[in-house]
Amino acid sequence: MSNEAVIHAHAGAGTHDAHGDHHHEHHHHETFITKYVFSQDHKMIAKQFLITGMFWAVLGGLMSVLFRLQLGYPDATFPWLEDILGKWAKGGHISAEAYYALVTTHGTVLVFFVLTAGLSGTFANFLIPLQVGARDMASPFLNMLSYWFFFTASVVMLSSIFVETGPFSGGWTAYPPLSALGSASPGSQTGMDLWLVSMALFVVSSLLGGLNYIATILNMRTKGMSMTRLPLTIWALFFTAVLGVLSFPVLFSGFILLIFDRNFGTSFYLSDIFVNGVGALPNEGGSAILYQHLFWFLGHPEVYIILLPAMGMVSEILSVNSRKPIFGYMAMIGSLFAIAILAFLVWAHHMFVTGLNPFLGSIFVLLTLLIAVPSAIKVFNWLTTLWRGNIRFTPGMQFAIGFVSLFISGGLTGIWLGNSALDIHLHDTYFVVAHFHIVMGVASMFGMFAGIYHWFPKMYGRYLNNTLGYVHFWITIAGAYMIFWPMHYEGLAGMPRRYYDYSIWESFKRFGELNRFISTVAMIVFSAQILFLFNFFYSIFKGRKVTSLNPWGSNTLEWTTPLRPGHGNWPGEIPEVHRWAYDYGKDGKDFISQTTPVGADESHH
Amino acid sequence: MSTTTVTPTKLWSGGKSPFNVEYGKLMMWYFLMSDAFTFGAFLISYGTIRFSTNGWPNPNEVFRSYPFAGENANAPLVFVSIMTFILIISSVTMVLAVHAGHNMDKRKVAINLALTILGGLAFLSCQAWEWNHLHNEGAWWGHNPFNNHDGTASSTNFTNYFFTITGFHGFHVFSGVIINIIMLIMTLTDKFEKRGHYLMIEKAGLYWHFVDLVWVFVFTCFYLI
Amino acid sequence: MEHTAEHEEHVGGGVKEIIKVTIILSVLTAVELALGFWMMGMPLISNLRIAVKGAIVILMMAKAFYIVAYFMHLKHEIKNLIMTIVVPLSLFVWFIVAFLYDGNSFRHLRNTYDPHFKEQSTIQAPKKEEGKSEEKKEEAKPEEKKAEEKKVAE
Repeated sequence: MSNEAVIHAHAGAGTHDAHGDHHHEHHHHETFITKYVFSQDHKMIAKQFLITGMFWAVLGGLMSVLFRLQLGYPDATFPWLEDILGKWAKGGHISAEAYYALVTTHGTVLVFFVLTAGLSGTFANFLIPLQVGARDMASPFLNMLSYWFFFTASVVMLSSIFVETGPFSGGWTAYPPLSALGSASPGSQTGMDLWLVSMALFVVSSLLGGLNYIATILNMRTKGMSMTRLPLTIWALFFTAVLGVLSFPVLFSGFILLIFDRNFGTSFYLSDIFVNGVGALPNEGGSAILYQHLFWFLGHPEVYIILLPAMGMVSEILSVNSRKPIFGYMAMIGSLFAIAILAFLVWAHHMFVTGLNPFLGSIFVLLTLLIAVPSAIKVFNWLTTLWRGNIRFTPGMQFAIGFVSLFISGGLTGIWLGNSALDIHLHDTYFVVAHFHIVMGVASMFGMFAGIYHWFPKMYGRYLNNTLGYVHFWITIAGAYMIFWPMHYEGLAGMPRRYYDYSIWESFKRFGELNRFISTVAMIVFSAQILFLFNFFYSIFKGRKVTSLNPWGSNTLEWTTPLRPGHGNWPGEIPEVHRWAYDYGKDGKDFISQTTPVGADESHH
Repeated sequence: MSTTTVTPTKLWSGGKSPFNVEYGKLMMWYFLMSDAFTFGAFLISYGTIRFSTNGWPNPNEVFRSYPFAGENANAPLVFVSIMTFILIISSVTMVLAVHAGHNMDKRKVAINLALTILGGLAFLSCQAWEWNHLHNEGAWWGHNPFNNHDGTASSTNFTNYFFTITGFHGFHVFSGVIINIIMLIMTLTDKFEKRGHYLMIEKAGLYWHFVDLVWVFVFTCFYLI
Repeated sequence: MEHTAEHEEHVGGGVKEIIKVTIILSVLTAVELALGFWMMGMPLISNLRIAVKGAIVILMMAKAFYIVAYFMHLKHEIKNLIMTIVVPLSLFVWFIVAFLYDGNSFRHLRNTYDPHFKEQSTIQAPKKEEGKSEEKKEEAKPEEKKAEEKKVAE
């Protein structure tokens, strides 16, 4: 049996039939459907993920603007709201149900559809084959299915917004009993069923994608591309995929049990419940904490699924645009690995005050605080990469630096929240909202923007407009801090999250002005993202054309492909790799591509 | 098999699989790991609920019947041990099919696959009988006619978990049987002969053994302890 | 494709190994069943019962090992492949420990602070089974009573 023959037959032909011994260079005619819709080309699938993700980002962002409107102006009425939301905003005032539905959908959509599918779906698909030197993913067919499962999940989630009783409104974590009992709230009815179906489809999508990414990175690297020559993007995407493959199934199990609780009279999560207007429920013996355990067993790795791809891309972009090798390449891989492992061991720090055993909680505190070590290693390595570099402030680079800034600011508050004692005061306050939005929400968005600005020339053969990019960056970074910095103070003062109207609370009334400020900035930042969208779509068709094959002077393999690579990426042989990806400013040379053989007189790196 | 003799560092240097396996097998392995976490989460949830409950029904009183036994059968563990052996034997025939595939022995592959399918169907029939029997006794999702060991009332979670987890396992067996039937058809129509290898059978085999493996855990957790 | 003797060597074992593993699995299952039957006669709460349960879990792991190592051929794969599969599975250790520990803690919590929960676990249930297996239950009752008394005494 010759595996090699099998692999090469596959890689060479770029066909999804890995077992075909026939080695044919095919150039069959591609129709619109096979090229743009049911495409098996990883680059097209990446763009599909990106644009679907952008669609959701706009919708999710718009939702946040709507509920910020309620928080900032609890007494005002906006007649136009009734025009777009109908009965959910009677008299121009968002109803409580609508508010909770907006918050829930905003969270679900941004965490799963934008920052998981839109981020790692886009860049894992786009970069893995290009940077490891493969014709396509291990299984292009499953890769295509991965996107279409995501698309179906999107459609189902979108449809849940339009059902009579509204979308699910019990928070993106979908804790029972709100998620398990249809009688608990309007959103817990059809909206929750659709939410569950959508999320189940999403789990399948991420599983298909993740398996593909892992198999491609391990099995399909080009000649000479050893694991320690891989760019850090690939390492980060690899660990992301591993996290997804091992943690999503646990969520899936939790969802199946939830579906049974909802529809088949079981009581996995239900016990001792009295519903207003319904009476005491017969369900006994379940444990709502069990759901939280299952949810956060995914939920915590999930935040690293969101964060790691951003980290990887930022490492690459910082190094390229500082014209310096990344500082501490092996330490970067090691810390990624440590984060990936710790991600699985710390889930219960989301549950300190749920009735979790306090002793167990203390172990979770210890494990949680350990994450500070690899995170600090990464931060120091980014800073030392920048140190005395010839920095080129491209928009991508700016967003990468912004990522580092946000990761530090948000990471430090994580150390507070990781303490179970402090959590008694801080849990479920705006402090938590500020923490995770900065460290995982905005930071990962920045990683995504950095990636888009940096790899746009490879994706579409044109540049994004720089000026618009700078405007976009400065408004977004300043706005992000202005939105989330004040929330720390609100949280420290005890202001709980997920409340509909703070003006009726004596203790939180005084934050009315601050809330209005936050809401105003949120709207400005949202409109800056529209600017980015304009830039994106305008530049696809009208942007400045890329003329050089390697516009950033980068070492990695994707820049050795033609300007607009076809399916199969390299027209001839796949180039062989002779060195790591970070030979910048070595021996007086600005950069040395990975494909350049090591010269006899070269100094050791 | 020249690749097996090269040094480990060479294996990782790119241009070939570091594990010397084709990508499909690698993906199947990692899929099974992922599935192990699905089943693991189910069984651990079951354990968690059991640990957080004061009493639990005695499996030996619940699972004490077998087909054609009449009303007063009291034979705990008998029927389930038959089910277990059916699954183990079907796993053995699957290994033999994979083994025959390595030797390009089409006839043996087909025979052993057919036996595996039979084993799978036999297991599913046993499960169908057991579910039906329990259902007749009043057990179902949300209904638990059995009291705890100590005679106190039991929550419904005993039957809830039993039906959910064995159901999920049974679904895996069912899909395994379907996969094996497809493999059998492909074998009989010489698909693999034309390809020159029976690697697909190997992957189907991995899946089938995993189903057997899960049963080892389900059997222990529900019937024995 | 040259699958012949050469390949055989790589795959390892062959039919002989398969038969050997089949026998081992059967024996392990038989031992498990024997322990199961033995356990039926034991009092509900006893150290011996827990020890036997532990033994059964160990046997279960042994069976899992034989299935994965030989039937799934993992033992004959390259060491790195074995590592990439076995090492992530070690995540199960903390997964199991934390979940069960917290489950147990939740029971204590409810027994301490939830009088209804505590009360439920002391009240003898009315027979829910209809008719047919009633006599069976009656026979079993003295034993159950004893077990219950024991529990109350504790």
